[in-house]
Formats: sequence, C-alpha cells, structure tokens
Amino acid sequence: MFEVFLFFAPASLIILGALIVIFAKNPVHNAMGLVMTLVSLAIIYITLNATFVAMVQMLVYAGAVMTLFLFVIMMIGVDKKEQTTDSIKGQTFLVSGVFLILISLLVYVAVSSDFKWDLWFPPVEYDVEGTPQLIAGTLFTAWIFPFEIISILLIVATAAAIALAYDTKKRNSNA
Amino acid sequence: MTRRKEIAMLEVTTDWYLSLAAILFTIGFLGMMIRKNALIMFMCIELMLNAVNLTFISASKHFGQIEGQVFVFFVLVVAAAEVVVGLAIIVSIFRKQSSASVDVLNVARG
Amino acid sequence: MWLEVSLEFIFLLSIFLPFLTAIFLFLNKKLFNELMTNFFTLNAALLSFAIAAYSFVALALNKFNGVNIELFQWISNPDISIGFTLDGLSGIMLILVTGLSFVIQLFSTSYMEKDENYSNYFIYFNFFVFSMLLLVMSSNFLVMFFGWELVGLSSYLLISFWSKKPAAAKAGNKAFVINRVGDFGFLIGLMIILDNFNTFDFYKILNNTNEVSENTITLISLFLLLGAFGKSAQFPLFSWLPDAMEGPTPASALIHAATMVTAGVFMLVRISPLLQHSNLASLLITVFGLITALLAAFSAINQYDIKKVLAYSTISQLGFMFIAIGAGAYVAAIFHLVTHAFFKALLFLGAGAVIHSMHHEQDIRKMGGLRKQMPITASMMGVGTLAISGIPPLAGFWSKDEILASVFANGGIYYIFWAFTLGAAFLTAFYMGRHWLLIFEKDNGFEHSDINEAPKAMTRPLLLLGIFSIFIGFINTPFFHGLEKVLHVNLEYVEVTHLPEGITLIVLAVLSIGAGFTGLIIAFLFFGIELHKRIDLQKFKLEYPINLIKDLSFNVLYLNKFGNLFFVSGMKNLTRKVAVVVDGMLIDGSVNFVSTAFNKTSKITSTTQTGMVRNYVVYFGLFLLLLIVLFIATPMVQS
Repeated sequence: MFEVFLFFAPASLIILGALIVIFAKNPVHNAMGLVMTLVSLAIIYITLNATFVAMVQMLVYAGAVMTLFLFVIMMIGVDKKEQTTDSIKGQTFLVSGVFLILISLLVYVAVSSDFKWDLWFPPVEYDVEGTPQLIAGTLFTAWIFPFEIISILLIVATAAAIALAYDTKKRNSNA
Repeated sequence: MTRRKEIAMLEVTTDWYLSLAAILFTIGFLGMMIRKNALIMFMCIELMLNAVNLTFISASKHFGQIEGQVFVFFVLVVAAAEVVVGLAIIVSIFRKQSSASVDVLNVARG
Repeated sequence: MWLEVSLEFIFLLSIFLPFLTAIFLFLNKKLFNELMTNFFTLNAALLSFAIAAYSFVALALNKFNGVNIELFQWISNPDISIGFTLDGLSGIMLILVTGLSFVIQLFSTSYMEKDENYSNYFIYFNFFVFSMLLLVMSSNFLVMFFGWELVGLSSYLLISFWSKKPAAAKAGNKAFVINRVGDFGFLIGLMIILDNFNTFDFYKILNNTNEVSENTITLISLFLLLGAFGKSAQFPLFSWLPDAMEGPTPASALIHAATMVTAGVFMLVRISPLLQHSNLASLLITVFGLITALLAAFSAINQYDIKKVLAYSTISQLGFMFIAIGAGAYVAAIFHLVTHAFFKALLFLGAGAVIHSMHHEQDIRKMGGLRKQMPITASMMGVGTLAISGIPPLAGFWSKDEILASVFANGGIYYIFWAFTLGAAFLTAFYMGRHWLLIFEKDNGFEHSDINEAPKAMTRPLLLLGIFSIFIGFINTPFFHGLEKVLHVNLEYVEVTHLPEGITLIVLAVLSIGAGFTGLIIAFLFFGIELHKRIDLQKFKLEYPINLIKDLSFNVLYLNKFGNLFFVSGMKNLTRKVAVVVDGMLIDGSVNFVSTAFNKTSKITSTTQTGMVRNYVVYFGLFLLLLIVLFIATPMVQS
C-alpha cells in the first residue's frame, strides 16, 4: 500500500510539473515546474533502488542545471510576452494532428496489451542497489573508454560555451 | 472490502514506470511543438531526456543490471553539456534580436 | 677502393654514357653553343665506343663466353631482375651501335649546322643510343622491353624533329601508332613467357625450352614475331618506315637503317633456341620476310625521293634477314645485319651529303650528273650500291650469298623461296643501280654548276664507312667462320642451317653474283645509256605494262591507300558514330538526366526545409509516429 502511494505521489507531481513547464506563461514558473518534476523523479529513482543516480539528479539537474536556467532567465528578462498567435502557417493543424495520433497510438498500445506490457522477461528476484561502489566499479572498468570521451565532451562544451557567449563587440569597444 | 483488497493487492510493476515515462515524454514533446521561446523548448528537451532516464532506471531494476544506471549517468553528463552550449546559443541569439523566439530564425531555409 | 671496380662493370659505362650525355646536354641547353655541344657529344660517343671495343676484346679473350651482370633483383617470385649481359650477340650490337653512333654524330655536326634546335637533336640522338643499348645489352625480356619502348619514343622524337612541318609531325605519329600494334604483340608474348617460365631471364628461359609444349612456344613466337614485324617494318606493318624519312637524314641513317629497325632481327636471333622448336613460326617468318623483300624491292624501283628509295631498300634488306631467320640461318641474319648496317649507313649519309649540297632538294629527277661536282660522295655511294647489290668482294655479297645458300640448303619448299629471294636480290641491284645513275650520271637537264662537294666533316665519315663496306664482309666467309665463333654461346642449343658444300656453293654464289650483275646492267641499259629511247617501244606494245608497273611501284601496290581506306577512314566513321550514339545520347543523356532529376527533386524537397525549428520538431514527431507504428506492426519474437 505504501509502495503504491510512493509511486503515485511523485508521479502526479511529475506530471503536474511537466504541465506547468509547457503551459505557464512566466519563464520563472516554467523553471519551478521543471524543478518539481526533477525532484519528484529523484524520489522515484530512490524507490527504484538507484540511490546514487537520485543524488546526482538532485545535485546536477535540480541544482546546477536549474541554476543555469534561472541565470539565463535573469539575463533575458521575465517580462517578455510570448506571441499567442502562431506565426507559422499550418503549424497548429500539424501539431494537433501529430499530438492526437501520438496519444491515440499510446492508448491503443495500452488497451490492446490489456495494460500489461509484455517485457519478454519477468522481473528478476534479486535487487540491484545502485550504490556508488557498484556504479563506480562498472563505470571505471567496462565503461572507462566512454567515460573518458564524455570528459572530453564536457571540456569541449565548456570551451564552446565560452566562445559563444563571449561578446567580441563589447570587448573590442571597451578596449 | 473487496475494493480495499484490490488496492492492497496492487503491486508497482515496471509497466507503471514505463507508462509514466511515456506520458512525460509526450508532454515534453507537445511542449516542443507548441512553445516558441527557445528557453522553454530547452526545458521540454530536459523533460524528454528525463523520461528516457526513467525508462533506463526501471529497466535496470527489471533486469537486475547496473548498466542502465551507468547509462543514465552518461545521459546526465551529455544533457549538462548540451544545456551549457544551448544556453550560450540562446544568449547570443538574444543579443542579436533581443528575443528568444525561434520563429524569427529561418536563415537556414532551403 | 674505387679503382678496384670490377672490369665487368666497365661495359655498363658504355651503356649509360650516352644517357648521361643526353642529360648533361639537356641541363646545359641554354649554355652551350654548337661547338660545345659537338665537343661533349663527340667525345662521349668516342669514349663509349672505346669502352665498347675494350669490352669486346675482353670478351674475345674470354672465348666469347658471356658475362651476366645483375644490377639488382626486383621481384623474387616470379624471378625478375634488372641486369645486363655481354655475350657474342650483344657484344656485336654494342660495338656496332656505339661505332655507328660516333661516325653518324660526326656527320650530323655538319648536317645539322645552324639548326635552331641543334642541341635538342643531339639530346634525342644520345637518348636513342642509350635506349638501343638498353635493348641489346639486356639480360632479360623486361629490360629489353624498356629499351624496346624507349627506342620507339626516341624514334618518334627524331622523326618529327622538324615538327613545324605537318608531314613530319604526321609521320612521327604514324610510326608511333604502327609500332604500338607491334608492341602490343610483344607485350602479350612477354606475359605468356612469364606465365610459363616464371622468369624473364634469357638464359634461364632459353636453356629450358624443352619444358614447355610446342604449341605454347608457337604462341609465344607468334606474338613476339608481331613485335618484331612492327619494329623491323615487315609486311604488313611496314608503311611507317618510308614516312619516317621526314626526319633528319643522319638520324634516319642510324635509326631507320642501321640499328633500330634491326631490333626485330636481333630479338628473333636472341630467342632462336625458342624459335627453332616452332616450325609454324619459322615458316611464317620466311613467308612474311619474302613478301616484304619482294614488295619493298618492287616499290623501290619507281620512287623519286632520294631517301624513300633507301627506305624501301632497308625494308627489303630486313626482309632478307627475316628470310634467313626463318631458314634457320641465324648467323647469316646477324651477318647481314652487320654488313647492312655499314653500307646502308653509308648510303644514307651519302644521300644526306647530296641533300645538303642540293640545298635540301630530295627529288632525284632534279639531280643527275652530280658525279663531277661531288666525286667523293659519288664514289662512296657507288661503293655502297655495289655492296648492297652483292658484287664480290664487297660486304653485301658475302652476307647475301650466305642467306641465299642457307635458304637453298633447307630443301623442299625452300627451293621456291630461294628462287624468289634471288629475284628480290636482282631487283635490289636494279633499283640501286637506277638510284645511283639517276643521281650521279644521267643528265636530266638541270644546271648544277653551283653544287659543291660536301664539307670534310661529311666526307670523312663516308670514307670510313666506305672502307668498312668493302672489308667488313671478310669477318664471316665460307673460308673463315668468324661470326659463328662469336655467336657460339647464343647458338649453343640451336641447330643452325649449314651451308651446302663444294660445287653447289660455287654454283649458288655464281647465280647470286649473276643476279646482282644483271640487275646493275639492266639499270645501266635503262638509265645509263637510255636504251628504251633508242629502240622503238611501240613495236613491242610494252608501254602499257611498263606504265602499270611504274604506277604500282610508286604507290606501293596501293597498300597504303587500302590501309587508309579500310583502317583509318573506317575507324574514323565508326568512332564518329560511336561518338554520336554512345557519347551523345547514352552518356550525355544519362548524365543530363541525373542532373535534371536531382535539380527537380531537390527543388521539391527543399521546400520542406523552412528553417523553422518548430517545423523540424513536427517532422521529428512524424518520424516518431512512424517508429511507433513500426513497433506495433512488427510481431514480437519471443527469444
């Protein structure tokens, strides 16, 4: 019973947060909705025995990434009203068509499988704790090469961000 | 009484998590299509990425393998890098046209 | 120590010296005037000849046992190495080529005087000598092929030396293209050899001819024969040689008379151990040699270009050499090659001297009576004429008589061949007599008082070659088989046809001399004392046949026109049609179709690229839908 509650409470928060993200007018509200979703997801991760990933989710997403978003919102300004009418011809029609078909397909899949998705295998009996030891043991042995590449990617991304955001005009006029 | 029993017998299976991930992904995708603000679109991308992360984690539990969580770790890093670069792009777009709307940007049309 | 270089390597120097000279002259083209060019090229040629002579003497002291020098091995399996050999056969060619090269270069210094491309001429000339030496000195087919191709190239360069003349440029092309037909055969022959023997080395191949079936040997021989036909201007690939006379006369003397055109003969003698196993190839060589000898001799009797007569005469004499090879008289073939090289070089240089004195007039109808103005040239040309006609004791007699006797000695059908060969010898004497008489004796009514004897740089080579033309025949007479001893290594496994003995030989010799004398006498009757004008020819109704013969001879039996009509024009029409249909419609059409199709489709598809990010998101969604539909549609497989 408690387990069911532990699923539904965060799940409803996740969906609520996601809806806020896409429908709220004020960018700050959007960001807060995203925080709600991410934190609730971290709770779900814990129920799925992925404790280390939950912590990283909290730190990196809810912490660092969201701070970054808020910084940008601060720079751009919150009072910019988005146009309500769609400027692209036929976009509303296309969007609603794609969305409706997507929803109906998902419903069809759910109904036709009697709400039980055939996952080929039954779930395993034992639990795998996503402890830092286990993840590190896997990451630094079998996945060491992708890990190194990922680190290079991060450095490149940092350099790219600096290069992009660097205002050469302003800098030159100052100098 | 029977109703309570049914609820009591309810068991949280992997299917539930997958359904949640599908719903989250769909919402994120809908947001991508309807919003014009580049910043909000980025948030939607984050939503979709998190939906994928959720499937990874639930599959990890389902199959009892740690690799799913390792992949989530990778996705997190890539997402962070992507956010950094994407936000930098948004900032420079905003400097050019003092708006974060993507609909004005069609110089790459064929 | 560098002084202790093996003596075997010294002869390599004589091969590469002309090449170094060519490079040296090329690099200093702007710097050297004619005198400097002369100095270097003549000294290099003389040095090369001296080394060649030294090598030959060393070879003689070694009783003509060959020396093989392998520079390096290129590929170990199949066994291909770059190397040279010095044995009797290549030794003769070495000394012949370097010697004639020196004499003819000496002549050229005067003949090419004040030409605007003076140094170019000597660069090409030296390059040719190098290529020819590469060809004859090689110890394997591969190096021989290099030389074979390079002599073709340098021959092309020298034929079209005066490339401002359209005829010269055309003649160079023609020679190159026709030689290509032969080279094609040669190359295929080499491939078959490599396939069967797994090596290119002469001695390894020629000592193992028993390992291969006779059919294969015939096949190899026939393809190599095609190469020899092209290079040595045999029927049907002979028409380039008369055209090649557009080049400078001294170059013609060396390349198109004395050395390069004999490469085919040389090569066939080189492979004689192979050749003797194939009766078919031998018979074909004889027949084609005979056709060539007769046809060319016939064509020579009514030519008016001073050089063309000699060109057809060269073809005819090469035909004699081929007959000798076909009859198994390899020594006689090489012997005739040597004597022919001397007297034909003499005749060509004499012609060059005449052309020089006549201010580049080549029509013999406009000459005549030059004997008084040019006594040395006339007498030396006379020596050459007598030599080629086979008058004893000059060089041509010994070699030609040996060929005739060898053909006779084969018996059977070769008696008929012998008769025809004798006829060709008679024609040779006739046209050569006519040639000399028309130039130096007969009065054609032109005033030649301003013509002077050629300069000393020209007459000295003539005198030298004249002396050789008289005496070179004594190296291989029925009483002294000198050449046979020189070639004993090359012909170790070969059954050489032996001359008939005693009274038969004397009768044959008398007949051969008789043919020569008869030819000369008839020529004298016609062109010397002009007998036909004193007798009323109308009585005999001979006018028509004589004119017919004259016409056919002048036009070489219309073979050239036939070839042009059939091969050149036919090919042109065919290619034009191919160009219109295949190139215009098929290839152009398909290319245009592709480009138009790409253009149209890309215009249509590019409308989807709006540049709007949100449109792209929708496309992404559409593909997501497709993916889900596919996922639903695909039946799940329980593993």
